Amino acid sequence: MNLVRDILDHLILDRRGTRMGRVDGLVLELRDGEPPRVLGIESGSAVLARRISGRLERWVEKRWRRAGTESAICFRIPWSAVRKVSDDVEVDLEFEKTPAFRTEKWLRENVVSKLPGGK
Amino acid sequence: MKKALKLALGIVTSIGGFFDAGNLATAAQAGANFGFQLLWVVLLGTVCLIFLTEMSGRLAACSGHTVADSIRARFGFKKCLFPAIAESIAHYLLLASEIGGVCIALQLLTGYSIRWWAIPVALFVWMILWKGTFSLIEDGVSILGLVALCFVVAAIALRPDHRALLAGFVPSLPDSHPANYWFIAVSILGATISPFLFYFYSSGAVEEKWDKSDLRVNKGIAVLGMGFGSVVTIGVVITAAMVLGPYGIQADRYHEVALLLTKVFGFWGFPLFLGSVLIACLGASLEVTLGSSYMIAQALGWNWGENLKPKENARFALTYSAFVFLAALPVLIGIDPLKLTMFSMAIITLVLPPAVLPFLVIMNDSQELGEHRNGWLSNSIVIFVTLLAFVLAIVAIPLQIAGG
Repeated sequence: MNLVRDILDHLILDRRGTRMGRVDGLVLELRDGEPPRVLGIESGSAVLARRISGRLERWVEKRWRRAGTESAICFRIPWSAVRKVSDDVEVDLEFEKTPAFRTEKWLRENVVSKLPGGK
Repeated sequence: MKKALKLALGIVTSIGGFFDAGNLATAAQAGANFGFQLLWVVLLGTVCLIFLTEMSGRLAACSGHTVADSIRARFGFKKCLFPAIAESIAHYLLLASEIGGVCIALQLLTGYSIRWWAIPVALFVWMILWKGTFSLIEDGVSILGLVALCFVVAAIALRPDHRALLAGFVPSLPDSHPANYWFIAVSILGATISPFLFYFYSSGAVEEKWDKSDLRVNKGIAVLGMGFGSVVTIGVVITAAMVLGPYGIQADRYHEVALLLTKVFGFWGFPLFLGSVLIACLGASLEVTLGSSYMIAQALGWNWGENLKPKENARFALTYSAFVFLAALPVLIGIDPLKLTMFSMAIITLVLPPAVLPFLVIMNDSQELGEHRNGWLSNSIVIFVTLLAFVLAIVAIPLQIAGG
């Protein structure tokens, strides 16, 4: 398997096939005398910002940390939760129960449901 | 039988969906200023569009992925960012033009200025998206769009000279006003090939769960639907050439363009014209909004779908909502919709290479498409037309601005 080609930037699907984001980053562990190990995948706006520049990442983190959403802007999925990689990355989680759902949930409850026909 | 129905419906929707504010404005100006001479550009743009449409349907049917989805997975976030921003700006201008088209039709109908109509029209477009389903939008609005076929009827009734007509399909240089000629040529290409179309088409195919058994239907829809669709545009060029051309009317104002059909249909020409513009621009507004929101949602991995309720995909629903209301602003502050349309079409040709070339790379990837990857013919035609449009745009836009 080729990490960058087959995993990075691919779609993450939850247990029921709901789209829950994209693999915005990979987390590897460097070990002395042993090959590096994949710890997991990351998703979220701070991870995306990091790919543009470190400065943008710090700005995103500073901007959103106040709201207490650290895990939503940088959500890490351990490799043990990855069930299958077949073009899309299927994980053994439920989207609604992860921090990745926070923005969607906030918008759903605070914006969409307040608009006519949003319920 | 089911496939035949799918094919028929697809063709009808493509004919209805092909025609929009951009096609109308560019074709009317082409005909009024240069007679049949620019018809070859319509033909070239249509051939390229047929290939691109077929490609986006094929990608969806073979891989189950939309165009935006595959581009992000293949090229990564950083390389997608700039093209995505550029395309979103072009789509925004395009949507503003379509909303402007609807407002103009309402102004000509009621006498109330377009600025009064900007917000109600945006609200109406938003309501259809918010409450409607994909098939309602694709089938309903596009079937109504067939009213635009009255331009074809008008063109036939005017009995154009066959020899002159055919000569228009052969590329030629203008006798005068070369800057204007090439600017209109660029705008025609931009009006015909817009990136939102392949985001929209491939998303529709994924929502309807196309598979490899749909490849022939896909080919039929692309060739016949887009082919017949361009007949409406050709009808406008012919009508404008024969109705406006002889009087030296340049069609640079919408109320001049509105006279197009009165020579053939008399009193009914005016309501027919307004009806065509209203429906065509309304349909295009819906498709442009959805196409560009699909692109953003898919590139970021959000849940998306026009068949889902807004609360089931809040981020997608709010993206298109914001897009629609922001696009009402240019009309609201009083920017001339026809000038905006011509300008937007030229801008679209500038974003064609960053939108189309990555898509071509994916269509040649045997891992993604296997035996169904592109052949040399589709590659060469799409590359040729895209680059031609881009080069012409680089030359013609500054000339047009310099010449006022």
